[in-house]
Amino acid sequence: MGTVPYDCLTRTAGCIIGKISLTQGTNKKNLHLKGASVNRREFLKLAAASGIGLSLPLGLDTLYDTTEAAMNTDLVVAHGTSPARITRAALDAVGGMKRFVSRGDIVVVKPNMAWDRLPEQAANTNPEVVATVVALCYEAGAKKVKLFDRPVNDPRRSYVQSGIPEAVKAFGAEVEYTDDRKFREMKIGGEAIKSWPLYADIFEADKIINIPIAKHHSLANLTMSMKNWMGVMGGLRRSIHQRLDESLADLTLVIKPTLTVLDAVRILTANGPQGGDLTDVKRLDTVVVGVDQVAIDSYGATLFGMKGSDLGYVRIADKRGLGTMDLGKLKIRKINL
Amino acid sequence: MQNLRRVTQAAFLLFFLFLFVQTEAKGNDELGYPVRFFLDFDPLIFSTTILSAHAVAKAFYLSVTMIAATLLLGRVFCGWVCPLGTLNNLVASLKTRRSRPFGRDWYRLKYLILIFLLASSLLTMQLVGIMDPLSLLIRSFSISVYPLFNYGTRAFFDGVYNSDVKGLVRVSESAYSLIKKTVLSFQQPFYKQNLFIGVIFLAILGLNLIEKRFWCRYLCPLGAFLGILSRSSLLKRSVSEGCNSCGVCATVCQGNAMPDRKEKWRMSECLYCWNCDDICPQKAVGFGFVRRKTAGMDLGRRRVITSMLSGIVAVPFIRSNPFSKTAYSNPTLVRPPGSLSEKEFLKRCVKCGECMKVCITNGLQPALFEAGLEGIWSPLLVPRMGYCEYRCTLCGQVCPTGAIKRLSLEEKARTKIGLAMIDKGRCLPYAHARPCIVCEEVCPTPKKAIWLENATVKDRAGQEIAVKQPKVDLELCIGCGICEAKCPVIDRPAIYVTSVGESRSKENQLLLS
Repeated sequence: MGTVPYDCLTRTAGCIIGKISLTQGTNKKNLHLKGASVNRREFLKLAAASGIGLSLPLGLDTLYDTTEAAMNTDLVVAHGTSPARITRAALDAVGGMKRFVSRGDIVVVKPNMAWDRLPEQAANTNPEVVATVVALCYEAGAKKVKLFDRPVNDPRRSYVQSGIPEAVKAFGAEVEYTDDRKFREMKIGGEAIKSWPLYADIFEADKIINIPIAKHHSLANLTMSMKNWMGVMGGLRRSIHQRLDESLADLTLVIKPTLTVLDAVRILTANGPQGGDLTDVKRLDTVVVGVDQVAIDSYGATLFGMKGSDLGYVRIADKRGLGTMDLGKLKIRKINL
Repeated sequence: MQNLRRVTQAAFLLFFLFLFVQTEAKGNDELGYPVRFFLDFDPLIFSTTILSAHAVAKAFYLSVTMIAATLLLGRVFCGWVCPLGTLNNLVASLKTRRSRPFGRDWYRLKYLILIFLLASSLLTMQLVGIMDPLSLLIRSFSISVYPLFNYGTRAFFDGVYNSDVKGLVRVSESAYSLIKKTVLSFQQPFYKQNLFIGVIFLAILGLNLIEKRFWCRYLCPLGAFLGILSRSSLLKRSVSEGCNSCGVCATVCQGNAMPDRKEKWRMSECLYCWNCDDICPQKAVGFGFVRRKTAGMDLGRRRVITSMLSGIVAVPFIRSNPFSKTAYSNPTLVRPPGSLSEKEFLKRCVKCGECMKVCITNGLQPALFEAGLEGIWSPLLVPRMGYCEYRCTLCGQVCPTGAIKRLSLEEKARTKIGLAMIDKGRCLPYAHARPCIVCEEVCPTPKKAIWLENATVKDRAGQEIAVKQPKVDLELCIGCGICEAKCPVIDRPAIYVTSVGESRSKENQLLLS
């Protein structure tokens, strides 16, 4: 779990990709998790931009066009007015959902639907983004897609008002309320939390996709990917606020999502994480897709005019080698639709 | 006729149970079919609410149909429809040994109870809900029976699940998931006084073992109300010449209407169950529409006057306590949002418990003496049990009498049910140099009523620690209690809500405005 079947790709694309990545200063772990599909023109542009165009014989580029650029991309930032289209485009740019989801997989998709709020209030993940990811999972051959959250407000209202169950119904995804029986005490061995009851489904699934929304939070500053995993914590999770940053970094020790899609279609800039005032909502029409949650949260901070290092949990996770905070070390691809 | 009656009774009981189970949040703003539908037809609550509050919810005009039906057909409601009556029937069928009915005159008791209730409601005290059968039934089911059923069912299936017997677990789990979807509540409900209210309900059912339909015969004030109306009923029983006074009809009579006494039978006690007709070996009994005068009802003048006076005296007797004192407020008496001012609220609340049943967080609980004796079993919010969900308006939607107004989402957002205050001696960032912002995080008002002040505190070693200390903006706080419900200091929370500042009260205020 948590591993992605790219080994074959890395092997076929072989030394060239290895070189590209190294020249970009990307570490091996990231390389291992990359995947790709871009068209020829985009690839050429990218190759030129990164100064490696010359090393490839031009006539051969089509050989690599499904792997090259995406293998070389840590984050894709897609911008455009249609949440569904940018989500699809961003996924395409990291190599398509087939890179992450295999035929017959059971996939857990974890949106944020923790609050009794409407989509335009930007407290829960955008339902269109979630529905698109679910659709892509099924297109990639997933056997079952499950969605759940452990809401702060009443689960029935949080689910229904988020608009997510309605949006994914058509694809046959299972939207379930969490079942108390399924919280199992897990050894975490972190700095702040040694063990905690976590939702068993995320450990039993073949693939996990995290779809958080980017929001203000008065203690964490911002809540995005890493904090979204509070939704699989059982027990008296409110007590982790005493050492929130360490606890969130601890969670990433055991929760290894296959893919993260950060919803920044609407972001909540104040009175988070539940908001309620539409003047606190800012429309960015953006999604950020990648594998490294730390990198995504670090990039997400810039959407609010902050830096990744302004977020304690990002700093800690970076220091512990759980991901990359330094955006300079990342290959970020931007798409405008 | 007996079978037709049983089928009808079963159908109404099932309909009642269906509505009862449906009276639950599904996540939308509106509720489908609340069980109050039955109460809307209750002419007793209709009358006492008009007497006590001089106003009545529109839906209650449906109860006029029941008055008309009784004038036409007698107490068919008791015999054919009332779900409590049907349950009484069911329990009575466990009684195998026939015993002689209680004293002949005991039937008067329910009329005296009715007179008491009407007299006190005329003086604005609404006590009818304590004994109205529909209110009593919904309350008993909500507070006691349904939680018991849920707890037992869950415990059973959890037990099987944990037994780890492979094939058995598969079967039981699929049965469990079906039951969960259909009849179990979303989450296990817990109510204060579940045992107390449950024991009263069991006692009422248990009385059937002493005498069948004991409640209906001797205690039910709605039965009495309908009994009075039924005396002018057009549907009447007649006994032909063929009667040889064998007396077998008296043994099967559900209402103890003394059918064996022919013309001298007690029509007001007849539940129109048709048992006497069914059993008569001579086929001498018949029911038909006739205009005939019936004998007057003799309750005894002194008894009537005594119960009327008791009802009148009860009002000052119960009310001469501190709760009637202006500006005396009980801090724990946090009423549901939309509740009328306390006096008007108590004039209307019939303690049916529907608001508690439907409350999405299980926070609404039955009062004991928090609102004085007349407020017994009326709803109050206990945030430790469950807070008031910011965008939920269900309690106002189910309230049959309008004691809790139906609020729009905008009105709800403006309605204060109390105010939160912080106990600095227990709050982590104040008292224990530890970060915590949970109350602020969960505060639902668009501009948060709880705000944080950056502070630097020292720990034991003298090391400086940066914390954010919560403060309550009393102008914005609506007293929903989510801060109290989610406070990590779980036993006695460091932030809690009391009733002061509630919108519905003129006196119970804090801020000068």
